[in-house]
Amino acid sequence: MNQGRNPAVPAGSTGPQERISLPDWKAQNKRNSWLLALFMFALLGGIGWLIGYVVDPAMSGVFVGGALLLAGGQNAVAYWFSDRIALAATGAREATREEHRYLVNVTEAVSIGAGVPVPKIWVIDSPTPNAFATGRNPENGAIAVTTGLMEMLDRQELEGVVAHEMAHIRNYDIRFGSMLVATVGAIILLRDMVLRGMRFGAMGGGRSRGGSRSGGGSGKGGGSGQAIGYILLIVLLVLAPLLATLLHLAVSRKREYLADATGAYITRNPEGLARALEKIGAYAGEPMPVSDGVRHLFFVNPVSKLNAEALGSTHPPISERVRRLRSM
Amino acid sequence: MSTLIIIVILAALVIWAVSIYNRIITLENRYGNAWSQIDVQLKRRNDLIPNLVEVVKGYAAHEKGVFEEVAASRAAMMGAKSVAESAEAANMMSSALGRLFAISENYPELKANQNFMMLQEELSSVENKVAYARQFYNDAVLQFNNAITTVPGVFLAGPMSKTSQVFLEIPETERQAPQVSFSS
Repeated sequence: MNQGRNPAVPAGSTGPQERISLPDWKAQNKRNSWLLALFMFALLGGIGWLIGYVVDPAMSGVFVGGALLLAGGQNAVAYWFSDRIALAATGAREATREEHRYLVNVTEAVSIGAGVPVPKIWVIDSPTPNAFATGRNPENGAIAVTTGLMEMLDRQELEGVVAHEMAHIRNYDIRFGSMLVATVGAIILLRDMVLRGMRFGAMGGGRSRGGSRSGGGSGKGGGSGQAIGYILLIVLLVLAPLLATLLHLAVSRKREYLADATGAYITRNPEGLARALEKIGAYAGEPMPVSDGVRHLFFVNPVSKLNAEALGSTHPPISERVRRLRSM
Repeated sequence: MSTLIIIVILAALVIWAVSIYNRIITLENRYGNAWSQIDVQLKRRNDLIPNLVEVVKGYAAHEKGVFEEVAASRAAMMGAKSVAESAEAANMMSSALGRLFAISENYPELKANQNFMMLQEELSSVENKVAYARQFYNDAVLQFNNAITTVPGVFLAGPMSKTSQVFLEIPETERQAPQVSFSS
C-alpha cells in the first residue's frame, strides 16, 4: 500500500541519476490502484459490520450490505456524472473550431500521437493558467483549458499540457480518482449518520438490547465485546475519512508524475511540458476559485499555496515535476 | 489418465498459439490504422494547398518557382502508390511549403491576411499531426516487428507470412511548424 517503497520506482526523494521507466511505473500504479480499491472496500465493510455489531449483531450482514450499497451508489454517480459535474462546477464551455482553432488543432494532433479518440474540448474563461481532464474512459474523455493557459503557452508547451491531460484519460486516472473521492464521501456520510444516530439514542437502544441478551445467559463477553466494538467504531469513523483522504492524495500525487512522464512520451518532448510547468508555476495572479471536490483534477493545484510538499496536497511540487521531466 | 493429460496440454498449446496469432493480427491492424491516419492528414493538406496558393498568388504572383515546386510535390503526392512513395512525396511537399511560408515573410500585407493566417495555422497543424501520426505509426511498426521477431511470435510469423515493416524516416525539420524551416 505504501507509495514508492519499490526501489525500481522513483519515489519522493530520488537521486538525479534515476531514469524513469514508464512500463514499470505504470504496472506499479495499477497494482496500487487495485490494492487501494480493495482496502477501501474492506474499510467500508468493516465499518458496516461494526455498526451492525454495536446496534444488533444479528443484523450486521444488513449493515455491511447497506454500507457497501451506499458506497456503490456514490461510485455509480461518480462513474456516470463526474465529468458533467466537474465541467459545470468550473463553468466550462465547449470549444469550437472557429473560435479556438489553435487549441482544437493541438488537441487533435496530440490525440493522434497518443492513439486515443479526440476528447471533447472545453474552455474555461479565467486568466489563471490551468487545465483538467475528465471522463470515465477514453471514449468519453474531455479536456478543459483556461483561456489564461492558451495565452501564456506556445505550441510545444500547450501540447505538453494537453498530452499530460490525455495521459490522465488514457491511464484511467479520472475514473479512479473520482470513484475514490466518492468512496471517501460514502465513509463521511456513514460517519455523519452514525453520529446523528448516537445523538438520538438509537445506539443506546441497541446497547441495552445487547445487554439484556447477555443477561439472558450467554455471559458478559457479548457486553464488553460490544463496548470494545463501540469504541473501535468511533475511532474508525473518525480516522477512516482522514486515512482514506491521505491515501487518495498520495495516489493522486503519484499519478501526476505518471501523467507527466506519459505526456512527455506522447509528445517526445519533455522540455515543452517542463517549460509549461515553470511558466504556470511562476504565475503570480489570482488563484482560481475552485471547490475542493474537483481540485485533484487540475493540471496544477489551483490553490497555489497548497502546492508545497505537503501531505494534504493533491499535486506534487512543480519544481520536482520539472526536475523529473528534465532528467528523462 | 495419460490421454487426458495429453489432451489438456494440447488444448493449452492451441489456446496459447491462438492468443499469439491474435496479438500479431491486432498489432498488424494497429499499424495499418496508423498509416491511414497519416493518409487522412496528407489528403487534408493536399486539399488545403490550392487555397493557399490562390491567396499567396494574390500578393506575390511573381514567385513562380515556389508555386511550381508546390504543384509538383502535390502531383507526386496524388500519384504515390506505396507507403514509401507517399512518404517521400510528403517530405518533398513539406520542404516546398516551408519555402512558400519563408517567402511569405517578405510580404507584410499577405501575412496580415486573415485567410492566409487561417490557412497557415491549418497547414502547420496538419504538418504537426502528420508528425504525430508518423510517430504513432513507427511505434506500431516497432511493436509489430518485435512481436514477429521475438519468441514466441517468431514461430508463427513464418506460417502467417508476416515480415518486418520499415519505419518512416522523419527529417529533423519536420517536428517544427513549416514556417520556421528556412532550410533549402
